[in-house]
Amino acid sequence: MEAFNNLMYGFGIALEPMNIAYVFFGVFAGTIIGMLPGLGPISALALMIPITFAMEPSSGLILMAGVYYGAIFGGSTSSILLNAPGVAGTVATSFDGYPLAKQGMAGKALAIAAYSSFIGGTVSIVFLMLVAPLLGKVAVSFGPAEYFALMVLGLTAVVSLSDKSLVKGLIAAVVGVMISIIGIDLQTGTERYTFGAAHLLDGIDFLVVALGIFALAEVFYMLLRGGGGKEQPRNAIGSLKLTGRECRDIAAPIGRSSILGFFTGVLPGAGATIGSFLGYSMEKRLAKDGDTFGKGNIKGVAAPEAANNAACTGSFVPLLTLGVPGSGTTAVLLGALLVMGVTPGPAMIESRPDVFWGVIASMYIGNIFLLVLNLPLIPLIAKILDMPRPLLLALILIFCMIGVYGMSFSVFDLLLLLGFGLLGLGMRLFGFPAAPLILALILGAIMEESMRRALQISGGDWSIFIDKPISMWLLIIAVLSLALPLVKKAIAGVRAQA
Amino acid sequence: MTRLNVNQILALCLALVAVGYLAMAWQIPNFPLPRPVDSDLFPKVLGFTLLGLSLLLFLEKPKAQDIPDELDPNEQAQPLLLRPWSRVVITSLAIVLYALLLAPIGFVVASTTLSFGLAWYYGYRRHGVNMAVSLGVVLALYLTMTKVMDVYLPTGILPL
Repeated sequence: MEAFNNLMYGFGIALEPMNIAYVFFGVFAGTIIGMLPGLGPISALALMIPITFAMEPSSGLILMAGVYYGAIFGGSTSSILLNAPGVAGTVATSFDGYPLAKQGMAGKALAIAAYSSFIGGTVSIVFLMLVAPLLGKVAVSFGPAEYFALMVLGLTAVVSLSDKSLVKGLIAAVVGVMISIIGIDLQTGTERYTFGAAHLLDGIDFLVVALGIFALAEVFYMLLRGGGGKEQPRNAIGSLKLTGRECRDIAAPIGRSSILGFFTGVLPGAGATIGSFLGYSMEKRLAKDGDTFGKGNIKGVAAPEAANNAACTGSFVPLLTLGVPGSGTTAVLLGALLVMGVTPGPAMIESRPDVFWGVIASMYIGNIFLLVLNLPLIPLIAKILDMPRPLLLALILIFCMIGVYGMSFSVFDLLLLLGFGLLGLGMRLFGFPAAPLILALILGAIMEESMRRALQISGGDWSIFIDKPISMWLLIIAVLSLALPLVKKAIAGVRAQA
Repeated sequence: MTRLNVNQILALCLALVAVGYLAMAWQIPNFPLPRPVDSDLFPKVLGFTLLGLSLLLFLEKPKAQDIPDELDPNEQAQPLLLRPWSRVVITSLAIVLYALLLAPIGFVVASTTLSFGLAWYYGYRRHGVNMAVSLGVVLALYLTMTKVMDVYLPTGILPL
C-alpha cells in the first residue's frame, strides 16, 4: 500500500505537463540517436547534461531516463535493419533480427522489438518499485571474486550459445579480452600492448571494434558475395501484425527475459549487454526450435529486447539506492545528478522522494511513449531497406566513419576501424563467432580488475574463487554451460553411430 | 607430406600470435612496490589460454562452416578491378585515403566523395540520385553534429 501511495505521489510529479513533454522529448531523441550506428545512450546522455543543468532534478532525471531507454530501443532498429548495433546492449538482437529482415520480415522484427521492449521495461519497473531496497542489498554483497565469476559466466554463456565451434568461440573471447587490456593499466600506470602509440594509451573504444566487426565486416562480406555490384531483389518490409501463435510463442520468452534482464541490470557491471546475451542464451536452450536461433527466430528478437530494456531499468537500482553506477551509462547519469545537486544513495528515497518516485512513475509513461512513438514509425524506418544496395553499402560506411570520428576525432581510430572490419570479415569467413569477442571486449577490463582485487584480498591465493559460495556456484555453472553442448554432441554422435 | 587443413593453418597463426603476446607480457615492467598480483599476470594467463586453445583448434576437424565458400565464378570472370576481392581491397584503400584526407579537405567534401564514389564503383548508375543522396545525408549529419550537438568536424576547403 505504501508503494502504491508513493507511486501515486510520483505520478503527480511525472504527469505535470512539462515533465510529460520532457519524457516525450527524451524518448524521441533517445530513439533517433540510438538508431544511428555509433551514437549510443552514453553519447545521448552526455549531450543532455548541459540541457538538464538548469532543470529541477526530478525533471532532469525524468528526461534522461527517457533518453536512456529510448536509445536502447533505437539501437535495436539499426541492429535489425543494418546488422550494425551502435549500442552494445542490442548486439544480441541482431543475431535473429537481421536474418528476419533479410527474409522480408523487418516490420515484424521491429514490431516484436517494440512490444518486447515495452513489456520488458514495464515488468521491470514493477520490480524496481517493489524490491529496489532489497535488491540493492544483494548486489552490494557481491565482492570482486563474485564479480569475476559472474563475468566468466557471462562469457561462457555467450560462447556456448554460438552454433559455431566452441574452441573458436573461446578464442574469440580471449582475443576480445586481449583487446580490452590494451592501454594504461589503471592500477599501476603501466603501459601494455600500446606499441609506443600514444593513441592506444586510453585503449581501444568499444565502438571502433563493434562497428568494425559487425557493420564494416558486413559490408565487406556483401562485396565479396557480389551484393555490391548488382541490384538484388528487394526484401519486403512485411506486415507489422503478429499472429496469435506468434504472440503465444514470444509471450513466455518475454516474461522470462524481462525478469532475468532486470536482475542482471541490478548487478553493477552486468547491465543491458549481459542481460540481453543471457536472455538470448536462455531462450535458445529452452526453445524446442533452438537450432533455428541465429537464422531468424522471432524468440531470438523478443528475448534480448525484453532483457535489455528490463536491465536498463534494473541498472537504476544500484544508482538510486546505493549511489553506485552499474554501467558507463548510469555513471553519466550519476554525474548529471551530482551536477544538479542531488547525491543518490540509501538516504535519497527519504530525502528526495520527488526524484525517486517521479522517475519511477515517468518510466511507466516513457514506456507507453516508446510504444506509441515507435510502432507508427516502423514502416518509415524500415524503408531504409528499399534503398539500392550499392548506395546503402556506401552510406553504412559513411555512418561508421562518422560514428567513430565524431566520438574520438582521431584518424587513427578510422584506420583501426578498417582493421577490425577486415578482422571481422576473416572471422566470418573462417567460422569464428563475433559476439564473444565483443562481449569480452566490454567485460575484459572489469574482469581483470575484479580478478586482481580478489587476488590482492587473498594475498595471491586463487582458492578465493572457490571458497566463496556464490563465486563457486557461478564458476560451476560457467563450466557446465561449456560442458553441456559437448556432452550433447557426444550423445548425438553415439546415437548416430548406433 | 600431409597437407594442413584450414583449422591447422589458423591454429599455427594463432599460436604464433600467442607466443608473441606472451613474449611481450614478460617485458611488462614490475610495479616498484611488491604486490601479490602485477600488471603482467592477466596477459600471461590470456597468452597461455590462447596457446592452449590453438592446440585444441589444431586437433579439431574443420566443418563446412569453417571453410570459406567458393566465390561466384561469374563474379570472378569480371575485369580485375570489379572482382570480389578487388572490391574489398579498393574499399579498404578508399577508407585509408578518406582518413588521410578528412582533415585537409574537410568532412563534407571527403564524405560526399567517398559515398558517391563507392556507390558508383559498386554499380549504382543513377548519378543524380547518388549525388543528391550522398550530399544530402552527409550535409544533414554534418549540420546535426556541428550545429545541434556542438561536435566539431573539420571544414577543410569549404567555408561552412
